[in-house]
Amino acid sequence: MSLYDRIFRPRRYRLSDGTVVEEKRSRAPLVILILVVLTAVSVRITGFNFSVLVKKGSKFFDILKAMFPPNTAYLGKIWQPLLDTIKMSFLGSFIGAVLAIPFAIAAASNIVTNRVVVFLVRLFLSLVRTLPTLVCALIATYIFGLGTMAGTCAIAVFTFAYVGKQLFEIIETVDMGPYEAMEALGATKLRAFVTAVFPQVLPTYLSVSLFCLEGNVRYASILGYVGAGGLGLIMNEKIGWREYDSLGMILIVLFVTVMIIEAVSHALRKRLT
Amino acid sequence: MNEKIQKAYASAPKTWLWQLLAAFCVACLLAWSGSAVRVSNPTGNGLEVAGNILSGIFHPSAKLLFTLGTDGVPYLLLETFCIAFLGTIVGAVISLPLSFLSASNLVPKAVALVGRVLIAAIRTIPAFVYGLMFIRVTGPGPFAGLLTMSLCSIGMVSKMFIESIEDLDKRILESLDAAGCTTFQKIRYGILPQLTADFTSTIIYRFDMNLRDATVLGLVGAGGIGAPLIFAMSSYRWNEVGAILLGLIVLVLIIEWISAKIRVKLARG
Amino acid sequence: MIIFDHVSKVYPNGTVGLDDVSLRIEDGEFVAIIGRSGAGKSTLLRAVNRMHQITSGSLTVNGTDVTGLSGKPLRKFRRGIGMVFQSFNLVTRTSVIKNVLSACVPDMPFWRVLLGAFRKEDKIRALESLDKVGILDKAYMRADQLSGGQQQRVALARTLTQNPHIILADEPVAALDPVTAKQVMEDFVHINQELGISILLNIHHVELALEYADRIIGIRAGKIVYDGPSKQVDQAVLDTIYGEDIASEAAV
Repeated sequence: MSLYDRIFRPRRYRLSDGTVVEEKRSRAPLVILILVVLTAVSVRITGFNFSVLVKKGSKFFDILKAMFPPNTAYLGKIWQPLLDTIKMSFLGSFIGAVLAIPFAIAAASNIVTNRVVVFLVRLFLSLVRTLPTLVCALIATYIFGLGTMAGTCAIAVFTFAYVGKQLFEIIETVDMGPYEAMEALGATKLRAFVTAVFPQVLPTYLSVSLFCLEGNVRYASILGYVGAGGLGLIMNEKIGWREYDSLGMILIVLFVTVMIIEAVSHALRKRLT
Repeated sequence: MNEKIQKAYASAPKTWLWQLLAAFCVACLLAWSGSAVRVSNPTGNGLEVAGNILSGIFHPSAKLLFTLGTDGVPYLLLETFCIAFLGTIVGAVISLPLSFLSASNLVPKAVALVGRVLIAAIRTIPAFVYGLMFIRVTGPGPFAGLLTMSLCSIGMVSKMFIESIEDLDKRILESLDAAGCTTFQKIRYGILPQLTADFTSTIIYRFDMNLRDATVLGLVGAGGIGAPLIFAMSSYRWNEVGAILLGLIVLVLIIEWISAKIRVKLARG
Repeated sequence: MIIFDHVSKVYPNGTVGLDDVSLRIEDGEFVAIIGRSGAGKSTLLRAVNRMHQITSGSLTVNGTDVTGLSGKPLRKFRRGIGMVFQSFNLVTRTSVIKNVLSACVPDMPFWRVLLGAFRKEDKIRALESLDKVGILDKAYMRADQLSGGQQQRVALARTLTQNPHIILADEPVAALDPVTAKQVMEDFVHINQELGISILLNIHHVELALEYADRIIGIRAGKIVYDGPSKQVDQAVLDTIYGEDIASEAAV
């Protein structure tokens, strides 16, 4: 019996045949209380103010309005950074997804029996996941210099952590029967894994990687802001010069690109599963 | 050799051709992408920087880590937490009507399509652009940050809300109809119980993500732990970077642990 | 030839799997192991190819002492022993032929394993195995499109591709309907008689065991309580194996 049940005793019902049924008290009041307290604290600390929002809310649309009509003449200068962004996300996703494979295998408790190894690899994946991508990109610009290399690196790290976690969870839900059969006919663990487990996880793995790629194209545009190449670089520039109509053009191009990549990847993922 | 076997061997479908083609395409894309990677290193010594960062993380500035004032790590973490928390809630509240209007099993196809395009458009605008827009409304600070977070959450949250709504089990509504329920009763007892667990799970997951992504806000001065982190990095004060990162990592790990527990509980009922 | 000499197996949690088992199985025999669930049938079977480690005694298969085997010699030893499972253990989302070909994996260079590029002679061998169990026409279908009986035949074909001298079958028909179960049992007889492969299977359908196997081994609480020709199994024998009340039920 948990603490909550000890304070708020379960309600007891006696049925007509004499059996007693206990109904635990609802947790809802506790949850609501916590939410209210957290909201109150958050409102205080962030300075949330509804009247400001009502009074000056229209200013939000100032920049948005300035984006239209977009500056179509700027279109010609967008292609290069756009291609850079796409290349960056593609290469980064690929490297990250491939690097994730050995780590995911080592983190899967049904393949690796050594609990210490599983724990350490999972801790490592978790730690990498907590590292904000932006910080990663910044660090990468210090190491590799400004440019697409830093962006590729940051995306690879992000993809590595994301795909790594998803993949080891997929591996753990796999049917181990074929693996057992492979071991019974004299295959090494590695060969048994490649022939029996790999075909089972491959479609989901590719699907997760493609999904990650979709998100990365969007994300890559932010990374340019810290100098990691691509669209973010020119976005930052246009914001600095207050050329919002050019910014509008960039965003429209990005929107269309993301839609196309999502459509292609969605179609591919449908075929995979 | 048996003729039947020969025939079966010859009739093998040529799947390897497709695989080869796919591999070729991926290889071409990779080669093409590889052309974008140019290493230009102005500081000249990347490894040394990497070493400095590592040593900074292992020797965090204790002063920063344990100061309770508004510029200490604990307060910054609290502020970040609050931005992410309120941002997620506001975002979820906005997503709710948006996702019901975009669920293709509830509204006409055309309406759903418009809703989806709107959601996709909201997702396309990067966080720092939103940040700049909101700073005009509220001035720099955490208020702008939380509004930015909420808009950034809409994309993913409503996408997942829509999926839950489209997965609704409609047979329950039939049985409630048979029991003579009104529309309101059907929503209260037929739809809400199915959705609350999924929705809560989505919101908690997004909160988890918002906490990680809150550093982006620092770029434009929209509050949170991002700004001090980026300042410390650009002025090479690695042990301050270490202290902030350490705090962030611990906070994110704790929240991730709690959110995973709650979500597992929600999934199993 | 399989020789069990005073073999015992105690699980780490203290459960006794096998209790002082001694037996001798000659080449080319068709042996069925019967007993209640948890009596040690599966442990006995899996001790043979060392999927389970025995705790004492000695177990020799064709002159090789199984107890001392590990690593490469163990894998080489297992190449000669086929195994068939209750749940078929196929990779259901790949084709039938790929599943059968996986029997060749231990002998291939690693790059071929990684790419799934099998040699022509291996493919021919796999197709021949499929022909032996009568499902050559299903070779390029996905395994999950086949019925349970056909899937078990795929597993049998995979085992035959290894060229084993012994086949171990762990409840091979438990997941099948009665008619299909009979067909699969006939496949085993066919393999036993025409290819001369020894078959050792455990099974809980007594009537199937009596109908198809030459020799019955009855096991109860880890001990062998009957070992003899299937023709001599009568109600009294079943009573000793199963305990009275259950035996009469099982024999119906």
